[in-house]
Amino acid sequence: MLEVSGLTTRYGAISALRRVSLSVGANEVVGLIGPNGAGKTTMLNTVAGLLRPAQGEVVLDGRPVTGYSPDRMLRSGLALVPEHRRLFAQMTVVENLRIGGVTVSADERAERLDEMVELFPVLKDKWATAAGYLSGGEAQQLAIARALMSSPRIVLMDEPSLGLAPVLVDFVFDLIGRLRTEGRTMLVVEQNATRLLDVADRAYVLRTGEIAAQGRASDLLAREDLFDTFVGVSDRPDSSALPQA
Amino acid sequence: MQALLSSRVGSQLAGSGVLFAVLVLGGLAYASGGAPARDILVTQMLINAIMVIGLQIYIGNTGVLSFGHMGFAAISGYAFALLATTVERKARIVPDVPLGLDSVSLNPLAAAATAVVVTVVVGLVVGLGLARSGAKSGAVAATVITLALLFMVHEVGGAYADLTGGRNGISFSVGRGLDSRLWIYVALIAAIVVARLFKSSRIGRLAQAAREDDLAARAMGISPARGQMVALVLSVAVVSVAASLRVFQLGTVAPSTFFFDYTLLTLVMLIVGGRNSIAGSVLGVALMTVVDETTRHLADVEIDGGPAEALDIVLRPGLTDIVLGGSMLGFMIFRARGLIEDWEIDHWLRRRFGRAEAVPEPLRAAPTPEEAQLSVVDITVDFGGFRALEKAGLEASNLEVVGLIGPNGAGKTTLLNVVTGLVEATGGSATLTEQSAGGPEACPIAGAQPFEVARAGLARTFQNLRLFPALTVRENVNIAALVASRHRPGGDRPSVEQLLVHAGLWEMRDRRARELDYGNARRLELVRAAALSPVYILLDEPTSGMSNVESVDMIDEVRALAAAVGAGVVVIDHDLAFITGVCDRIYCLDQGRVIAAGTPEEIHADPQVQAAYLGAAAAGPAG
Amino acid sequence: MIDLVQSLIDGLGRGSIYALLALGIAVIFGVMHMVNFAHGELITVSAYVAFAVGVTAGWGWWAAVPLVFCAAVGTSVAIEFIAFRWVRGSSDFTMLLTSFAVHFLVQAIFVMTMGASVRSFPRPEWADRVWSVGDLNIQVIDVAVIGATAATLAVTVYLLQRTMFGISLRAAAEDFDAARLMGVRSNKVIRRAFILAGALAGIAAIFFLMRTGQARPTTGLSPLLKGILAAIIGGLGNMRGAVYGGLLLGVSEVLLRSWLPEDLVGITDGVVFALIALFFIFRPQGLVYVRSAERV
Repeated sequence: MLEVSGLTTRYGAISALRRVSLSVGANEVVGLIGPNGAGKTTMLNTVAGLLRPAQGEVVLDGRPVTGYSPDRMLRSGLALVPEHRRLFAQMTVVENLRIGGVTVSADERAERLDEMVELFPVLKDKWATAAGYLSGGEAQQLAIARALMSSPRIVLMDEPSLGLAPVLVDFVFDLIGRLRTEGRTMLVVEQNATRLLDVADRAYVLRTGEIAAQGRASDLLAREDLFDTFVGVSDRPDSSALPQA
Repeated sequence: MQALLSSRVGSQLAGSGVLFAVLVLGGLAYASGGAPARDILVTQMLINAIMVIGLQIYIGNTGVLSFGHMGFAAISGYAFALLATTVERKARIVPDVPLGLDSVSLNPLAAAATAVVVTVVVGLVVGLGLARSGAKSGAVAATVITLALLFMVHEVGGAYADLTGGRNGISFSVGRGLDSRLWIYVALIAAIVVARLFKSSRIGRLAQAAREDDLAARAMGISPARGQMVALVLSVAVVSVAASLRVFQLGTVAPSTFFFDYTLLTLVMLIVGGRNSIAGSVLGVALMTVVDETTRHLADVEIDGGPAEALDIVLRPGLTDIVLGGSMLGFMIFRARGLIEDWEIDHWLRRRFGRAEAVPEPLRAAPTPEEAQLSVVDITVDFGGFRALEKAGLEASNLEVVGLIGPNGAGKTTLLNVVTGLVEATGGSATLTEQSAGGPEACPIAGAQPFEVARAGLARTFQNLRLFPALTVRENVNIAALVASRHRPGGDRPSVEQLLVHAGLWEMRDRRARELDYGNARRLELVRAAALSPVYILLDEPTSGMSNVESVDMIDEVRALAAAVGAGVVVIDHDLAFITGVCDRIYCLDQGRVIAAGTPEEIHADPQVQAAYLGAAAAGPAG
Repeated sequence: MIDLVQSLIDGLGRGSIYALLALGIAVIFGVMHMVNFAHGELITVSAYVAFAVGVTAGWGWWAAVPLVFCAAVGTSVAIEFIAFRWVRGSSDFTMLLTSFAVHFLVQAIFVMTMGASVRSFPRPEWADRVWSVGDLNIQVIDVAVIGATAATLAVTVYLLQRTMFGISLRAAAEDFDAARLMGVRSNKVIRRAFILAGALAGIAAIFFLMRTGQARPTTGLSPLLKGILAAIIGGLGNMRGAVYGGLLLGVSEVLLRSWLPEDLVGITDGVVFALIALFFIFRPQGLVYVRSAERV
């Protein structure tokens, strides 16, 4: 479904991503993990069109979409739930949902709204509340629901558990699991690596802008040597070199 | 001669002289042998040059766009006219003039001087207002205050006829006194010198730093209000001198003399040449005068029939404004910084005639400083219902390097922001205790303004790099040294040059900070913090965006720099290889609380730390 | 008491026009972060269109109404396309001066083509009529302005709250990149913002011109200024605040006029500007202020 090959993104002179390749198949939940500063958010932002890649290709459903603007990317079927959610805080819950469906017809939008109410019942109670007043968990549900409004074929999520209390973190991962059983295709960035690996099919480990490891989630979870990568900890500076997958 | 040209002030004076001579001689050459109209044009150009230099002093150094300077000019112009006009004439034009002005008639020089004083007083009041409104580069509120001033003066000029003669204004002939161009020359050279010296003065440079990055400037101990105030007063003084000269030369002052049209003309001159440069301002004046005159000349050409008739439409009045408006639009779209960004003639003079600069001595470690202690206790921060920090704290001595780690959103940067005064804590305290001659001296820093914290000895860097982009590498560090020399007195500290060499930035010292690559930019921010001669350097993710190799190098750099300036270090980072290598002790934050503290080994072995990173599943019954 | 009611009606009549202009300025500030100094030129263009319709073509004032409206909308879109598109995302300094330059260019074009003199055109005869209700003297045009403004605002509120266009616009004003991630096209939403601002200015122009009946190159300057000040009083970019700001400005002008001593009445505007400057000194964020965190 999504094929990224040789993606390089630069901020000024430095490369935040260096020739990163990954793929996400239909109905698959793929994790992207790694320490802070590894380039995970840069990766998602580049794929979603917020950043322009210096090199590389993004292919969606066999069509090249490299360098598309974010709105065009969305119209091509790829939605991003951005870091920090970026809800429209002064707008109500239903308005946030409607803007998520700006690209679809009015009838379809109404259908999607019903669907979201079913999926996230808590939003119904807050229908006319400004999004800025939602609690962390509600806000995260709204952010995900908003992205689903356009019926995207693939959803990118950036740190969905960020800034949430532990009980809500559980909830978010349950939610990802639920969406997975629905057959949604997702690429999820998380710092909470073990939790993500529990609900993902496959995962890539990103480290300083490069893919350091990849494989089935269960296999990665079993690999002791990747402990460093999840945490970013190493005893000695020279142990930071990682086994290449 | 060489001594003069290699000294800073000497070369600036010489450069100002050259600039003055070029403009005046150019004007005289054009006027000589031509019609009297050319003479008037040159006079106008010289007066405009004074006016534009006046604008440059404020707009250039502070980055605040002011539409109000023509309001100041109008105040000065009216004051001058009212004071200089003869009593008899006033009895005819403004018979009911208040304040006893009907019986006053000064000679032009005294009238101009009084006008300057009156205008500067108004400028002080407006300046206080701007400072109060927290004017910063590009701030719209400041621009609107100045705009309101312009319109207020214009309204009063038009409607308060008793004082101003209403729409017709005050026309006069002053007899003698200012009738040669001598006073214009004097005012022009004075304006150039004042502007040039101010640009390189301590206050001027601090104002430029605030213009480039308000937040970074405050975090370096600069209070922006003061620089803006001084810039405004100087600028208003120069503008009001120019206004008196203009009124004198026109022989009349009316509401339209100093209004939108003249604002446009002077702003275009300033923008086209380069608002951050005095040479640029003068270039802009000369250039736009030529352009203006050419179009005016074209518009006056008589066209009798023939193919030229098609040109008629573009040759009508209004063409000048089109050219001015078009120039402004074009420069904003294609070259917003103007022709010359901030170059001055003395830069060239010093390079051409000055002595080459010797590479400074290498940096040596400072003697062990008196011990100081930073105590941050029980800091709590609420962001509208979201608790970012919950009774978090740390202790750090200036003889060690202390690390702060934790997952995203744990509150690390917030803690740093509280300590440096950028975020207000809901509760808790932070104190810096220094050993001084009279025993330990405690200085509370929580709740202080950022610039006060910096002056107390806490220098910081930012996660997303906040250099002064348009200033050179050396000037970035110089600014910090300037603050240090005033607010951090004490022993011999490494020179700016030594620090630059140490960081490997010496070769690129004259490049602009925005031209640096990322690694060097990070190094520059580090050196700049060190140049504040702080008790502590607080680093927010110094290795973010760096490769493994670079961040390993950074370990030595941070340690060497801290040793060289005798400062302690508190560092936030995600790269644990780096943190482990650089720190003596580490605090780990999660969910706004400190969950562990200890040596790197202890931290790595701590189950709670692992849980925080790996998530609740791996934590077991830890909490 | 009667005086106060009288002043209120007069003030709302004035303030309505300011409010419509301020709302347009706020809408554009929302999506572009630019204070549009060229907004007053929509009225200038409209004034010459009214002159062309009323004098050159010799049609009645009713014919001018739709054409004036269209002229304002068309000019607004054209200015965005010609000038503002190229400085999108630049510094505030650059954008302020860009719109300032456009303001002058439009003005200069009219000086060149039409000359600097005042051109008068016919106004509807009911515009000067006054209804006397008890001691109140109500100008018909004030009633018309207030009514039309109320209707316009109602339509605008409907557009902003209920239609996808309005929701996109508000989303873009709040977080432009996030709106793009939702599929909102930047060119489209900005163009539409300029259409809306132009339409609001068009309504304002219709009544402003009915009152003055004059066209000259600087026609738009005074309403522009009041509009900008009103928008800023309301807290820049805040649409509701802009409307309040406009009405407040209108009412305080009229009240000041009746309170100021005789010899100062002439400089009411001057006093208003001074008060506004004072207001900013103590409340630089405007009347209505939505806090947003500064990212460090």
